[in-house]
Amino acid sequence: MTSPIHHCKECVELLGEYIEGTLSPEQSKALEDHLSLCPPCITFVRTYKATRSLCRAALAAQMPRELMSSLKSFLSEHVPGFSCSKSDAAPRPPSDSEPKKV
Amino acid sequence: MSEQVTEEPREDGQPGDRELVEKAQKGDGEAFATLVERHQRQLYRLALRMTGSEADAQEVLQEAFLNAYQKLPLFRGEAQFSSWLYRIAANSALMRLRRKRRAPDALSDQPLELVGPKFSAEGYLDPAGDWSQRADEKMMSAQLGAAIQKAVTQLPDDYRTVFLLKDVDGLSNEDIATALDLTVPAVKSRLHRARLALREKLGEFFEAK
Repeated sequence: MTSPIHHCKECVELLGEYIEGTLSPEQSKALEDHLSLCPPCITFVRTYKATRSLCRAALAAQMPRELMSSLKSFLSEHVPGFSCSKSDAAPRPPSDSEPKKV
Repeated sequence: MSEQVTEEPREDGQPGDRELVEKAQKGDGEAFATLVERHQRQLYRLALRMTGSEADAQEVLQEAFLNAYQKLPLFRGEAQFSSWLYRIAANSALMRLRRKRRAPDALSDQPLELVGPKFSAEGYLDPAGDWSQRADEKMMSAQLGAAIQKAVTQLPDDYRTVFLLKDVDGLSNEDIATALDLTVPAVKSRLHRARLALREKLGEFFEAK
């Protein structure tokens, strides 16, 4: 059986796994019990989550076309048979807007 | 003996990385070009955020893909090709950063210590402002964007890499562990510390507003 969470420090330590849903049901319950009684931790959870979404939005850079072209030129010089005709003919829309698992 | 990882079929019906890698290993340059086309955007994002410079990101990409091509005969499919590529690109970016920091004219831009939340002696948090309500990403300003860029740049390299791969590129903890040769608990720990440090910096930003 998981011990109750009495201190915010324990709550913060578990937060990463909590928002990923990888805590055990007992640990999640203990953390939620603490949250129900602790407004500073509720604020902490909200700002922790907001940190992720803000950073993701700010850092989702798209690769400039010129850089794609220069990379292709570079690799064409070094990789025998390296062909870039397909992607030049039909450029794909950038898939940078939504992070995805690769 | 290690086994090859399984690969799910692609939704677009195109050949999977495994098939393309096998062709490229047999000298099919066009197959390698397709792999480059498929992964260059994500590697660019990682390289740019790790080095903080578009010129450096360009060199990291060139080096990483050329390195990957040269090492292709050694790739045995024991990890996802993408994880293998990330590892090469991350190493290339880290080496570039270290070389720059050792340069005699390097600016004093050393990473900061990771600063997390402050607790009372008993382990309690003090009440703090809830800036999450003001942090709608649609309201992203140039100032906020610059503050985030700066805060991420100041993370220690090893933490920044994990953070970028997870929270910006959306890789799984397992793929990151493979790419960076870490254990999954180490990935989780670094990720959490990085998020806590960034949260502190964002809190300072919103408090100053």
